[in-house]
Amino acid sequence: MKTNYIRQWFADWYSIFVHELKMIFSDEGVLVIFFLGGLIYPLLYNFIYHNGLLDEMPVAVVDNSAGSYSRRFVRKLDATRECAVAYDCINMPEAEKLMQEGKVHGIVYFPSDYDEKIVRMEQSPLCTYADMSSFLYYKCLTMGCNFVMLDELHEIQAEHYAAAGYDAEVAEELIAPVEIDESMPYNRSFSYTIFFISAALLLVIQQTLFYGSSLLAGTLREQNRSFVSMAEGLQDLGVGRVVLGRGAAYFAVYMVIGPLVALLIPWLFHLPQQAPWWEVMVLLTFFVVDCIVFSFTWSTLITRRETVFVLFLFMSPICIFLTGFSWPQTAIPGFWRVFSYLFPSTFGCRAFINLNTAGGTLATIAPEITAMTIQTVVYYFLASAAIFVENKVLEHKEKIDALRDEINRRRGLKPIDA
Amino acid sequence: MDRKTFIGNVWEVVKREIRIIRQRPLYLLASVGVIIVNAVFYLTFFRDGLPYDLPVGVVDEDHSSTSRNFAEQLNSTQLSEVIYFDDIHAARRAMQTGRITSFVLIPEHFNNDIQANRRPHIQFYVNSLYFVGGALSYKDLLQMIHLTNGAVQREVLRAHGVNEREIMNRIQPIVIDAHQIGNPTTNYGIYLNNILLPGILAMIVVLITVYTLGAELKYGTSRHLLKVSGDSIVVALTGKMLPYTVLFTILGISLELLLFVWLRYPLAGSVWPMFLDILLMILASQAIGIFIVELLPILRLSISIGAIFSTLGLSLAGFTLPVEAMPRWIGAWSAAFPLRHYYMMFVQEAIYGSGFSGWWQEVVHFLLFLLLPAFGLRRLKSAYTLQNYPRN
Repeated sequence: MKTNYIRQWFADWYSIFVHELKMIFSDEGVLVIFFLGGLIYPLLYNFIYHNGLLDEMPVAVVDNSAGSYSRRFVRKLDATRECAVAYDCINMPEAEKLMQEGKVHGIVYFPSDYDEKIVRMEQSPLCTYADMSSFLYYKCLTMGCNFVMLDELHEIQAEHYAAAGYDAEVAEELIAPVEIDESMPYNRSFSYTIFFISAALLLVIQQTLFYGSSLLAGTLREQNRSFVSMAEGLQDLGVGRVVLGRGAAYFAVYMVIGPLVALLIPWLFHLPQQAPWWEVMVLLTFFVVDCIVFSFTWSTLITRRETVFVLFLFMSPICIFLTGFSWPQTAIPGFWRVFSYLFPSTFGCRAFINLNTAGGTLATIAPEITAMTIQTVVYYFLASAAIFVENKVLEHKEKIDALRDEINRRRGLKPIDA
Repeated sequence: MDRKTFIGNVWEVVKREIRIIRQRPLYLLASVGVIIVNAVFYLTFFRDGLPYDLPVGVVDEDHSSTSRNFAEQLNSTQLSEVIYFDDIHAARRAMQTGRITSFVLIPEHFNNDIQANRRPHIQFYVNSLYFVGGALSYKDLLQMIHLTNGAVQREVLRAHGVNEREIMNRIQPIVIDAHQIGNPTTNYGIYLNNILLPGILAMIVVLITVYTLGAELKYGTSRHLLKVSGDSIVVALTGKMLPYTVLFTILGISLELLLFVWLRYPLAGSVWPMFLDILLMILASQAIGIFIVELLPILRLSISIGAIFSTLGLSLAGFTLPVEAMPRWIGAWSAAFPLRHYYMMFVQEAIYGSGFSGWWQEVVHFLLFLLLPAFGLRRLKSAYTLQNYPRN
């Protein structure tokens, strides 16, 4: 009896698995999303963010002081990686016009008494104007000017102390009693590529899996042959088989696509790959399983084939913000933090960034793995419950239809064709 | 067809379309519902404007009053919240797991070395993978360390009897007076929401346009549509688009009112050109949607193309990574996205208040989009008549 049950279980599981694989591979739309979408997005994003850096941003200078200090500042600014002094303007209106035309993205203005004040040992202000149409412009101008300012502070102070008769070494001890060693591991130059692609890769896996499986679920429902009816004849006990059988099919497909996205793409584009491949595979396994049950649960809402895009495409940008890759995790409002726990990407993307780009170990990402496991368990039961309920609804509907036909027949009407 | 029958037929198609919208909740859900969800999400998500109290690690190996003072000062800045670690390994692990965005290592004998003029090294590490948090922490830490340097100098100068004002002039001979044009408070939310929300609207417009046109083919109702429109594809398209144009325009103008009037986002120019901007973006996106269906009269393919187009638009508009930082052959494609022109016109009007002379070129670009549907009219008409494309 027991062996019989197990054998039957596996037979059912296997036939559902094969059936779902056939469905996937006979549906062009799903294949386009899985294979083209899954690979085209990472490729396109790599091309778009290929350089990832805004170097030598054009800046206009209005130097009313025209002394040696202001000229030295301008020279140093031009030498930074961030800024290039592109225009030397006579007055502010000229510089403003250049900025409005998009020829420069920052203005540095020296008042006429800039040099004089420095010589008189008064505090001497200079003004910067940043084009805020992109934060990258702001970052470039701010960093470029701040680096130069720090350097100038040092040099001007040294000159002042020398003028006051201090020994150079003593002056140095006064000016910079503490030396700074800065280190920016993982993404030294603040490259947009590394920052964005690291977060986006796993999100692509989640979103294509969700869109593809919802497309298929919607198609089946449209044609009145929903997978939930597969549990029929199994006396409502077959739900586990259906979820696990279908899940195994997507797992098989995504254990091919996943490594292409998470291992091949970074390798092709020379992105950081700090973790050994098998650790990435471990992460992928947890993540893909989580994404599958996640998709099964939410695709219950999709009743027609193409509606998944119309209704849920906007979730991709929301999901990527919820990973905390840009707006820091700690600053996310409480409600949205809780909301973010609904998505595998919240944990998957963080784990991938920490593991593969920041060179952590599996121990580093243990909290994320745990969270994904909890999600998997919860979504597994939700997906099963969804099938169970939908099956009941369908049965109920059949009964109603049969009754209605019966009534119509008695009233001498023809049965309605759905 | 004379003008009267033209308008009459368009009206018939409009009535038919309104019936379709009323029958399926999808259309209102995917437009009004989606834009409301997105507005609520992004406006509350970035409500602080700038992240506060970023967790910054401090490894204090010195345990002196100077090092404690440093950590306390850092903690009291608006941007940072100090977390103490026992050793560098623990701090590094915390940084790797993303718990802290940066940390400072204050070495042993730090205080003694300062007193003895031995110039100790202070080390700091920034996780630059988390862009905004990393960059802000970096700025904050750099500032704190320079303040520390200044504090030491101040003590010495005080001992020499130099007065406070002169001390400040000595320590900080130059200062930068920074101005941010178009976003004076450096508010990250204002910067992103200004383009993200219209971007989502552009996405909705393309998807719904493609869906409603493609659904006629998929559900085989296209011949009925042509019959109602008097066998004119121009009438059919005009009538089908009109209800949505009205709906999207209401949504677009509400969005502009929400941002610039209700929330008082900085606006150098006037709100009227912004209405024009969003109206033109909606029309251009509808034209793109029609064009996609004309090229591929199969709903499931055209909706996938529409989806890819819309998500790429968010990147190629160039408001995050500027277009000039992209490879040239990619950057050139940004002109093909209505959102790009919306952004350019926004920059001119909202940031610089330049008026017509600043943004008329964008209007011309927008109008060029409107010519797109003309190229595939015949193709779409034959697809609508013959229904000779696969439906699923």
